[in-house]
Amino acid sequence: MSGPLLLQSLILGLLLGGLYALLAAGLTLYFGVMRVVMIAHSAFLILAAYLAWFFTTQTGLDPLLSLIITVPLFFAAGYGMQRALLSRLRPATLTMMSVLLTFAIALIIEGGLGYLFSGTQRRIQLGYSSASLELWGARIAVVKLVAFGLAAISLLALYLLLKKTRFGQALRATIQHREAAQLLGIDTDRIAGFGFGLGLATAAVGGTALALDATIYPSLHWHWIGPLMAIIVIGGLGSIPGAAVAAMVLGVTQSLLQIPMGTTWAQTVFYLALFATLMFRPQGFFGGRLAQRF
Amino acid sequence: MRFTKTPTASKRFRATLAAAAAVTLASTLAACGAAEEGGGDDEIVIGISLPLTGDFSEPGKGIQRGYEAWAEYVNANGGLLGRDVRLEMLDDQSSAERVAADYEKLINQEQVDLVVGPFSTRLVIPAAQVAQDYGYLFVEPAGAAPEVFEEGFENLFYAAPAVANDHYKLLAEHILAMPESERPKTAAYASMDDPFAQGTAYGLKDALEEGGIKTVVDEVYPPNTTDFSSIAAKVADSKADIVVGGSQYQDGVNLIVALQQLDYQPKLAAFSTAPTETEFAEAIGDKTQGIIAPTGYTTKADYPENQEFVKFYEEKHGEAPGEDEANAWTTGQVVAAAVEAVECAEPDPDCQSKLIDWLHENEVETVVGPLSWDDKGRPQSAHMIQQWVDGEIKIVLPEDQAEAEFIYPKPAW
Repeated sequence: MSGPLLLQSLILGLLLGGLYALLAAGLTLYFGVMRVVMIAHSAFLILAAYLAWFFTTQTGLDPLLSLIITVPLFFAAGYGMQRALLSRLRPATLTMMSVLLTFAIALIIEGGLGYLFSGTQRRIQLGYSSASLELWGARIAVVKLVAFGLAAISLLALYLLLKKTRFGQALRATIQHREAAQLLGIDTDRIAGFGFGLGLATAAVGGTALALDATIYPSLHWHWIGPLMAIIVIGGLGSIPGAAVAAMVLGVTQSLLQIPMGTTWAQTVFYLALFATLMFRPQGFFGGRLAQRF
Repeated sequence: MRFTKTPTASKRFRATLAAAAAVTLASTLAACGAAEEGGGDDEIVIGISLPLTGDFSEPGKGIQRGYEAWAEYVNANGGLLGRDVRLEMLDDQSSAERVAADYEKLINQEQVDLVVGPFSTRLVIPAAQVAQDYGYLFVEPAGAAPEVFEEGFENLFYAAPAVANDHYKLLAEHILAMPESERPKTAAYASMDDPFAQGTAYGLKDALEEGGIKTVVDEVYPPNTTDFSSIAAKVADSKADIVVGGSQYQDGVNLIVALQQLDYQPKLAAFSTAPTETEFAEAIGDKTQGIIAPTGYTTKADYPENQEFVKFYEEKHGEAPGEDEANAWTTGQVVAAAVEAVECAEPDPDCQSKLIDWLHENEVETVVGPLSWDDKGRPQSAHMIQQWVDGEIKIVLPEDQAEAEFIYPKPAW
């Protein structure tokens, strides 16, 4: 194993981890807010990626500009989905039934994409798709750097929103103790809806970041949901910093393990880490009692 | 993925069982009701089961279009032995259990005069087994993986120029014929863990290793891989003279972009399937120059049969045929050649074995050139090699079909 290859793999791992962190952030938020397992999260990622691709092929503009449309759209869709569908599930069986409900939504999105855009595999053609910067002999692809930047900005914004604003306080209160929050005068139903919208808005950003450097097709979301679920369990369900740290660690580990073990075995790192977490620390590494800290 | 697929997989399995039970019942009832349905004296019935729904529905429909176009063409030109051709098509839903039951039904109950094959290795093997049990000739349009020819079938013929491992045959010969000073010294291989895709890359690998070109990277990735940056990092780090991808589509495209991002500049880059797809240039942009791919079929090959096929197909569909359509048409041509030569097309074992024997001993002119087979049904021809030249993919090998000069070394991408 050569030095430059090690450095290159480390950089690729960090960039990959950043993307994982962004893609997993929304998933852990839904669970924190509502105890909802959102199987359709990755389907929404692919939907956002398709919208970015469609936007670029129609207008010729940079796919990043599609965020102006998709972020509010996804926020509204998330709010609507929570108010109209998820809030109608019985609290006693919410977590389990949410799996079924969101699984159905994932299938509807996949089918809809196939119907509208066919199963043909698409890729956004960018003038800078193969451009790269050099750093100590290693190469950093511009598109991966942009995706990483998007992830960092969105996660920071999400963190500040939750920590520093009244809405964030209300959301955290709802996460920590819904009844107590209601006693304090917080409209927890509305807040939960907004929380869900926020999660879906991260899917819009994540999907666009993904579309910059990926070939997309309607069933691609099945490849993503497993690793993302593993990340949020390891990070501690409901904890955004936990998900971010777990994503970075797993991204780098996966990338480095590929050198000696090859792609097939390196992929198993997610599941091995998941099993180990469930065996020795089932609450995850940052969750504490479910999602009480941020 | 593991989270969601496990419950659905078992659900799907149960659904399949239920469906299978229903089908068995339905076909038994049908058997009681319907008498023999085989072709009368004025028509030849050809039985086919195709994956018209399910995983392989896209290529399955391509094969269907090819078969239908061929039958129409034959009927418009006087039929086979003066009889009209009628296709009896069933949908196997991409399921290996269904496909065997389908051929059983076609041969046993409907007593079709001939059968031809479905799409893909996974369905061809069970279908060929049924045909073999009843002594039927089995020409198939898609089943190029080594397994197909290792089952001991004597009735099977693959109607395409070459099996997976021979796709790069002409390229290997061309590279090894280069003068010592120009010839590449090292090679990197990355291939999908799939019998077909991997077969193509490993065929070239075996030939080049034998010729003294050292393998410095040999990566195999699972079909669900979408991130190729780590594989690209390994290839780039090895500084191999040439890179070969045993790819399908998205993996080939993603790997090429990842290699470009790392500024790896090989002297030759060959990928199976991906570069021949129409979306390839849309995905890669203007960085395609010099990329190589083997192809089993191109509308531009100037065999007279091919020109006729392309013309007929374009008139009917308003667009050029693809490889799936061409393979189905080729299958039809092969069967027709045998039928015309031995002058029979009946279910009886005598006629079928005459057809089989004839194909083992003769060569057939088809849209992909003249085809002949070894005793296991492997075609003995070669894939053409295409290369991207100035934004278009062109035939570069063999030289007598070439539309452009072979570019080596590949310009920087």
